[in-house]
Amino acid sequence: MSKAAIAPAPSALGRFWYKWRFHINVLLVLIPLGFMPKYFQDVALFRGASGLGEREFGEVQVGPWSLRLAEFRNQPPQLEGPAGYMKSFNAALCQACISQVKVVYLRIGKPRSLRAAGGLFFGSPYRMGTSIPIPPRTKPDAELWITAEGWDGTVHQASIPLAEASPATLAWLKQQGDKP
Amino acid sequence: MRANDPANMSKKSRSRLWFLVHSWLALPVWFFLLIICVTGTLATVSQEIVWLANPDVRASKPSDDAQRLSFGQVLEAINRAEPELIVQSIGRPDEDHFALTARVSYPDGSSPLLYVNPYSGAIQGVSPEFDFRQFTRALHGWWLVPFTNGYSWGWYLVSLMGLPMLLSLITGLVVYKKFWKGFFSPRLRVGQGARIFWGDFHRLSGIWSIWFIAVISITGVWFLIQAILGDTHVSISTEGVPPVVAREEVPLAPSAAEVPRISLDAAVLKATDIIPGLEPSFVSLPGYAYGHYSVWGRGWYPLMFQSASINPYNGDIDSTRLLSDRSGLEFVTESMRPLHTGDFGGLWVKLLWFVFGLLLSMMVLSGLLIWTKRTAQATVAAVKRPARAAKPVPIVATREISESRP
Repeated sequence: MSKAAIAPAPSALGRFWYKWRFHINVLLVLIPLGFMPKYFQDVALFRGASGLGEREFGEVQVGPWSLRLAEFRNQPPQLEGPAGYMKSFNAALCQACISQVKVVYLRIGKPRSLRAAGGLFFGSPYRMGTSIPIPPRTKPDAELWITAEGWDGTVHQASIPLAEASPATLAWLKQQGDKP
Repeated sequence: MRANDPANMSKKSRSRLWFLVHSWLALPVWFFLLIICVTGTLATVSQEIVWLANPDVRASKPSDDAQRLSFGQVLEAINRAEPELIVQSIGRPDEDHFALTARVSYPDGSSPLLYVNPYSGAIQGVSPEFDFRQFTRALHGWWLVPFTNGYSWGWYLVSLMGLPMLLSLITGLVVYKKFWKGFFSPRLRVGQGARIFWGDFHRLSGIWSIWFIAVISITGVWFLIQAILGDTHVSISTEGVPPVVAREEVPLAPSAAEVPRISLDAAVLKATDIIPGLEPSFVSLPGYAYGHYSVWGRGWYPLMFQSASINPYNGDIDSTRLLSDRSGLEFVTESMRPLHTGDFGGLWVKLLWFVFGLLLSMMVLSGLLIWTKRTAQATVAAVKRPARAAKPVPIVATREISESRP
């Protein structure tokens, strides 16, 4: 039996491990402590206690109706597998139009028809949300189009510059454009 | 020299090797694993802890002959009490001593839970900002690491612990010769020193928890697989896309209030008609104009839910998800979560999970105590033994291992 088999020379990594493994354990326990503020922030965001979304960008008039819009997260679109890059927005209908508005759609660029009006807002009219695809080739001067349809069948549209709706998305698009 | 060759390894030294593997397995993660076990144990009874702490969540019976209200009656009661609220869903907890929980939306955009008396429909309280149940689950389940894109790395960290736990169980049973004898002649020596006591405790609680450790570690490993499948966008689900009410089925009307809709109770009735044996325990109201009423409940198999989506305008059942729709694989994978949490058979199953969770936490702790008292020495001895046959023990080996003792 060779000597090396009995007592392998401790490697630098091995020495580090022997010396620090208990400390590393304690670090694992510190992780939730570090994330606790973020956890409570997120709980408040999901519950709607901290507002419509992380960044509200104003009230948009859509025909006779109006709605407040917000970015759910103040961040660039997230890659969601085969769906591509997605971005979530929240909206709240004005108190008087809740009984009149049937559905609200959101999309990048002007919809050609009601059939392609974009993502449907889902949830309570006090705080509804939708997630829409943001193609990486979207032009920085693109607009976010809101299409609202009433229970009586009337349709109204409005738009807001993407730059105003989501500066984080705009910055991300510029970055995409810079790539070869 | 023979001892180093696995093929020729004697039975004794092979079992010693297993023993060392067992002893070292959980070591670098022991404290983490202990906290995971303790938080998991708490999470099994978190709902009960909230019940003890907060009177709002209790379902007090106004009189002995009081009858439970239907979902529709509860909805009506909430709407009457707070007309500006929008009710999104109503859940009936498994145990009768809990109030109903209604997810509602307030005009200010917040969406808390309301605790509603199941007999009178009275709103007993609003869920506090700090949700103890959700917090213990988040702590246990993903170590509070946020889900930014896909599964949180905390989820991976925690579910990865299923592997050392499973390996500890297997190696533990291999090294514990004739462990089944412990069932008939249990031994717990008190008063012969801490090392003897903790050793007996570790073995005794171990054999009585074989089933529980297996359940927790296998389901834990499933959570790991689930995250890997999720993050690589591999789906094993046979469930189709959620149904949407066809555009032409949504009637025109001067305003939302004048749109003809079937009642919530009518929808629940439709669901129980089409799914025999369904016990509705959760209903959700249409989330938008193209949404459905959804009714969820258990059937004969307590680990899985069945559901039906009912068109609110014409009352058609647009989709169902039944036990018989699930593939064999889904029966296994969908059963994993309730098996892990123990919330499928009321209070007694939860308490059973709680007790064995405590036992498992104590096993991790006792394993650690034993390790500090013995394993380091055993390792020194195991390294020394073959060495003695050949050459004198190199000093470096002894020092290296004894240094590793805490």
